[in-house]
Amino acid sequence: MEYKIMLVEDDDSIAKLLGSHIEKYGYKTITVRDFDRILDIFIEANPHLVLLDINLPKYDGYYWCRRLRQVSINPIILISARDGEMDQVMGIESGADDYITKPFYYDVVIAKIKSQLRRCYGEFAPDVSEERKVELEELTLYPERPELYFNGNVAVLTKKEAILAEILMRKSPRSVSRDVLMEKLWDDQVFIDENTLNVNVARLRKKLQEIGIEDALETVRGHGYRLNVTWRKMG
Amino acid sequence: MRIFLRDHMVFVLLYLFNMIFLFMFYRNLGGFETLENTYYFIFLSSFLLGVFLLYRYFSYKRLYEKLSKTPSKLEDTLSSAGNAPVSEGVNRLLRAQYNLFQEQIQMYKRKQAEHLTFIHQWVHQMKTPISVIHLILQENQGEPYIENIAQEMERISRGLNMALNMARLNGFEHDFTIETVPLHALVSEVVNEQKRYFIRKRLYPEVRIDLGMSVKSDRKWLKFILEQLLVNAIKYTEGENKKVIVLAYVGEKGKVLEVKDQGVGIPRQDIRRVFEPFYTGENGRRFGESTGMGLYLVNEICKKLDHQIEIESKPGEGTLVRIVFTD
Repeated sequence: MEYKIMLVEDDDSIAKLLGSHIEKYGYKTITVRDFDRILDIFIEANPHLVLLDINLPKYDGYYWCRRLRQVSINPIILISARDGEMDQVMGIESGADDYITKPFYYDVVIAKIKSQLRRCYGEFAPDVSEERKVELEELTLYPERPELYFNGNVAVLTKKEAILAEILMRKSPRSVSRDVLMEKLWDDQVFIDENTLNVNVARLRKKLQEIGIEDALETVRGHGYRLNVTWRKMG
Repeated sequence: MRIFLRDHMVFVLLYLFNMIFLFMFYRNLGGFETLENTYYFIFLSSFLLGVFLLYRYFSYKRLYEKLSKTPSKLEDTLSSAGNAPVSEGVNRLLRAQYNLFQEQIQMYKRKQAEHLTFIHQWVHQMKTPISVIHLILQENQGEPYIENIAQEMERISRGLNMALNMARLNGFEHDFTIETVPLHALVSEVVNEQKRYFIRKRLYPEVRIDLGMSVKSDRKWLKFILEQLLVNAIKYTEGENKKVIVLAYVGEKGKVLEVKDQGVGIPRQDIRRVFEPFYTGENGRRFGESTGMGLYLVNEICKKLDHQIEIESKPGEGTLVRIVFTD
């Protein structure tokens, strides 16, 4: 089942970027351009979820949120540059289910969309049944187990190693800077330092070796690391 | 009373001079027959002078009282100075002046309000292009030039955030609620928001706060204070593998929150003035990234929230900022 997401955002660039990103996750997006007809468009298209900006021409997002609530209980997520507590309270009181402040992260928006859809439409949510999988040539990572498969060999990773492996595989053959890797490894409770990164890279190297991949994880001096596909010739 | 006497001294002198002159004149003409007549003359003249002075004093009493008292607020000048002609004139003058002042003050108040509204709207408007750039950066994460742009974006965001809070400070009285704020959660939140900055400077935050510890404060403003202190700590630390320590404990005067860095410290001649607005000092010149507003705002907010703030620093060793939540 394909979910329809209605996007009400008066800045074209944000609407375009966010719309195309959401579509990458297999949702269909409807971008509203005529801000006087938000309610009509909603009734016509009947989307599963609405992303609603607060600063809109003429009537604001709170108003439209209340109007939409009169005809539907589908999830509404507000997106706004206003980050005051009162703004968020007003948003929720107007009937919204969640609130995202600008500037925002794609991951946060996607996670909130998923959570609202899961809550509202239960088991139909697309990602719950299917396990996430990252592939690079014959190397396969299952980040949620987390395990690394190659040539029938398995290496069990730690959470941190899996995070490293995932980003390096996704970016390959480009290099990834130490800053980005550290940011990904940074945990809300345990803050990490340089050493943690070094240790985890060394461990990941060893595990790659265990499943038969040699010298793939290269150090790029003064920048970071790169995962090279060195195993192709062997196959 | 003193002004009254000084003011009337010239009358008294003129009168006495006049009296003595007439007295001499009469006596030379042989006008005084007996000594009693002379006394009578002197008595009568003095009596008339006294009555005149008393009359003047009582009719201008309020004016003189008003003149000898410094007004403490603008409305004080409006109290009546009495009904005597000069008093009436003074009343009219002051009233006119008061109105003129009021007009100007109202005009400036209006301008100030317009300016604040403008800042609010402008900051929120700027967040849209920032959001767009932020999204583009996320799609291209990892490229070296992208990271430079991301760095500058963070600076812009921090600046905007400060401008917004500066504008909010004016309406502080309507914009704060004292609540129980769990310290560990708040500090972790702020530290995590600054993680890119920490990582870029290769600094390691260390939070030493009991999970159960909380303080009475306004969450939003306390968060802003912490942000400013952390950003300062990160900004003014050079070299790798250093720490920024955030710790809390119960002190003599109440709960204490400390932000301690191992940075360049503040030169002794500057430390007295760090809470002054627009004061950047030597570090400001050296690092070239300071507005001189951060600590000023922090101090102002602390004053309004009734928190004490202390700062200690040793050049070359680091800076410690302590916030005391007095019970």
